[in-house]
Amino acid sequence: MVVFLFISVLLAGASTAQAEALDEISRGLPDKILAWAKGEEDVLYDDRTIFDYIDGAAEVYRAYNMKQCLSRRYETADGPAIMLDIFDMGSSEDAFGVFTHDQDGEAMDLGQGAFYRSGWLSMWKERFFISIYAEQETEATRAAVLALAETVSRLIKVEGSKPRMLFYLPSTGIRPRSVKFFHEHVVLNRHYYLAGENILNLGRHTDGALAAYERKEGSARLLLLEYPDRHKAESAQTAFLKHYLPEADDSGMALLENKQWCALKVHEKWLAIVLEATDRELAQKLLEEVTAKIR
Amino acid sequence: MEKEGNIITRRDFLRAGAFAAVGGFMGFPFKGSAQGRSLEKSRVILIRDKEVLDGSGKIQEKVLEKMMDRAVMVLMDAPDPVTAWKRLLSPSDVVGIKSNAWYHLPTPEALEKLLRTKVLATGVLEKNLSVDDRGVLRNPVFRNCTALINIRPLRTHNWSGLGTLLKNYIMFTPRPADYHGNACETLGAIWHFPQVEGKTRLNILVMLTPQFHGVGPHSFSRDYVWNYSGLILSRDPVAADATGARIIQAKRNDFFSSPRPISPPPHHISVADSRFNLGNSRPEKIELIQLGWDEEILIQG
Repeated sequence: MVVFLFISVLLAGASTAQAEALDEISRGLPDKILAWAKGEEDVLYDDRTIFDYIDGAAEVYRAYNMKQCLSRRYETADGPAIMLDIFDMGSSEDAFGVFTHDQDGEAMDLGQGAFYRSGWLSMWKERFFISIYAEQETEATRAAVLALAETVSRLIKVEGSKPRMLFYLPSTGIRPRSVKFFHEHVVLNRHYYLAGENILNLGRHTDGALAAYERKEGSARLLLLEYPDRHKAESAQTAFLKHYLPEADDSGMALLENKQWCALKVHEKWLAIVLEATDRELAQKLLEEVTAKIR
Repeated sequence: MEKEGNIITRRDFLRAGAFAAVGGFMGFPFKGSAQGRSLEKSRVILIRDKEVLDGSGKIQEKVLEKMMDRAVMVLMDAPDPVTAWKRLLSPSDVVGIKSNAWYHLPTPEALEKLLRTKVLATGVLEKNLSVDDRGVLRNPVFRNCTALINIRPLRTHNWSGLGTLLKNYIMFTPRPADYHGNACETLGAIWHFPQVEGKTRLNILVMLTPQFHGVGPHSFSRDYVWNYSGLILSRDPVAADATGARIIQAKRNDFFSSPRPISPPPHHISVADSRFNLGNSRPEKIELIQLGWDEEILIQG
């Protein structure tokens, strides 16, 4: 009973702290940013009401366990409105993950990472993913978007950590901005369409990283998945072999129709899959390197 | 999960040599796919007029009407627009015009107004005509409709690859999220709902300013729309969507200067063909008739 109460208090405390954090950021936001002034009242969305706000894209944020989103609109008489959306993703890993969903654009030295393109700035810091968006880009909107990003970054006092599994990815030849972190197969399919069904049994309980490599031997992609236990990793391996790679040889490799290699290996609760390797040895090497790093 | 052997994977696209080329929206050899689709080609009209948008992007209503009249006449093999519309609708019909209200790129009001005029000219009573999007389940005209006209702009979409004519009927289900799985693969099932099945008389894919790429939570930037100044009309929603998808894919390849497949692949289009028998997705099964302005058309019939 005491334990139950203690856990309840902890959970309630965590929830309150979360709400206060977003509130705290909200209180620090400027009413004016260059020629733009705060418009209508801020709106706070949760993982269900977010659909009312961003029709079509809400599933992406839900797939990264979003808790809340604070939305503020800045307006000016002379140009398009600017929308500031601060997503509390619940963990810095998921804030980083949703940030990796789209890495086009100009890299900016803001937060713990930011990109700017076509009137939209994306940024992550601690457990927050920040989107600042002007429907039409002008020099003035760009200046205001960047100024607002700086302000928000200052309001988030601490930094967060990236997913631990990223450190297991071999670093040689990894293509900048190619690394994606995710949980759900629908997100994997957005970046690399693998199968209509969830053959790898991905979900909230799994972590995944996808990276592209360019080495002198050739190019490849590496998909690294962490399951709750070895049994689940082996089940996923079995399903992958059955549905995607039935002709794999004893070492788990096969040459596909596009003359590229696919290979996989389980190590403890980890499943590593090399996709589109232009060279058999490269595929083998990537599997060996990732396994060695995990060890 | 589907029964064994019916899981569609990237390998199926690779075997068909289709992945890089078309992003998987034109159909590929489904394992266990249903049969029974029409053996006839589906007629698709692509009409463009560069004067339909003025320098500020405003729609020129007279030009728009001319485009619509010409397209519907050719589609229906009719000598004049009124006859063409009368071949689509009868005065006793109760007509729902299923529009799209997405904030950034809605069905233009000018098109909704034009369609109302054309429908009323066939003798349909004003009380039996309604234009709606998100309220279709509560709208008495839609609840009792005998005919539907489906119209929306084409755009990229985070979850389905493309926001298509097929996807435009998602508002006919009270639980849209049920159709989000596997890149909205099963959207075609909605077209077999009693409220919808067999009622769609015309599909119009608005290609005036289509959107070929989307970023961020708001999924929209003016950098990723362009004045294509066109309309696609067809009785077959699958053929119209597949044609639009080819144009979007070509625009992406052109804009990004390299193949940039629509992501996720909008395979709900080919699935609507092979599994739900709603029409033809493969180009060889589409009779594409191009009318009007042909510069940078991005597609060949």
